[in-house]
Amino acid sequence: MKKGILEMCILAIISKEEVYASDIIDRLKSGNLIVVEGTLYPMLSRLKKAGHLDHYWQESQAGPPRKYYRLTPEGEEFLQNLSTSWEEMVKSVSSLTSKNKSNNE
Amino acid sequence: MNKVVNVNLGGVPFIIDENAFEHLSKYMELLKIHFKHMEGSEEILSDIESRLGELFTEYLGSRQIVEITDVKKAIGVMGTPEDLGAEEEWEEITDNSKERQQSGDYNHQKRKYQTGKRLFRDKENSIISGTCSGLAAYFGVADPVWVRIGFVLAGLASAGSAILAYLIIWAITPAAKSAKDRLMMRGEKIDVDAISRKVKEEFDNVEKQFNEFSDSFKKKR
Repeated sequence: MKKGILEMCILAIISKEEVYASDIIDRLKSGNLIVVEGTLYPMLSRLKKAGHLDHYWQESQAGPPRKYYRLTPEGEEFLQNLSTSWEEMVKSVSSLTSKNKSNNE
Repeated sequence: MNKVVNVNLGGVPFIIDENAFEHLSKYMELLKIHFKHMEGSEEILSDIESRLGELFTEYLGSRQIVEITDVKKAIGVMGTPEDLGAEEEWEEITDNSKERQQSGDYNHQKRKYQTGKRLFRDKENSIISGTCSGLAAYFGVADPVWVRIGFVLAGLASAGSAILAYLIIWAITPAAKSAKDRLMMRGEKIDVDAISRKVKEEFDNVEKQFNEFSDSFKKKR
């Protein structure tokens, strides 16, 4: 479950702009979504294998070329689906929990 | 006064303290074991390596040499295999079946450490190919010479067909290349301590060989 949410977040980050791994890490960290960076790389590799992501190399001023990630059309669609089911889930969970509250009162 | 080592992390050269290097190579070895059963493990490892390089560059500032504190700090950020394992195991428990289908072939792969014995060829104690010493290690025979004698006797008794058996075993057994292989060859448990012990042994070995070499060189002159 957490993995699914994380994957959605990664795809969402990449859909906004083409980024490289450290950018993704920074965003996820600022949202308190990952604890250790090592968890990100297997996920990126898995998303890439599933055809949702694509990468290319870009020269950087400091150091070696960096690996930038971008979404494939399938990835866009996958993200759309994920977002829809996420919103549905949030809606039903919040309606459930608010109902509980009113019952308790 | 400490020795330093030159390493290449994702295409960037680093000068690293010897202790720090040992610590780092142990860490990479453990990661390799951790990701072994995942597809694309090589890519994951090279990504991690590049990222470690970036972290070092960040920590170094105007300093020149990567020290053990830098390595420890970077490992803290990247996470030890235990950290990664804990998160993944937790995820596996909470995963529902739908997610399993989405992430496809990934889930049925076990990511437990292997502790089982495997047959390797022990090239470090070899006469011909390390087949006999590998067999000795596998069956816990203290001295591989007994296995060798066994093969020679069997070769004589069976008019040569044991030699064929020897060649087949040679062909189908891999040579023990890494510290991990050597542990598996003896059926020792693979954990941080065992590997660091093994890596240290290998270091000592290299040092010994180097000393012998330099001695013989001096004698020649």
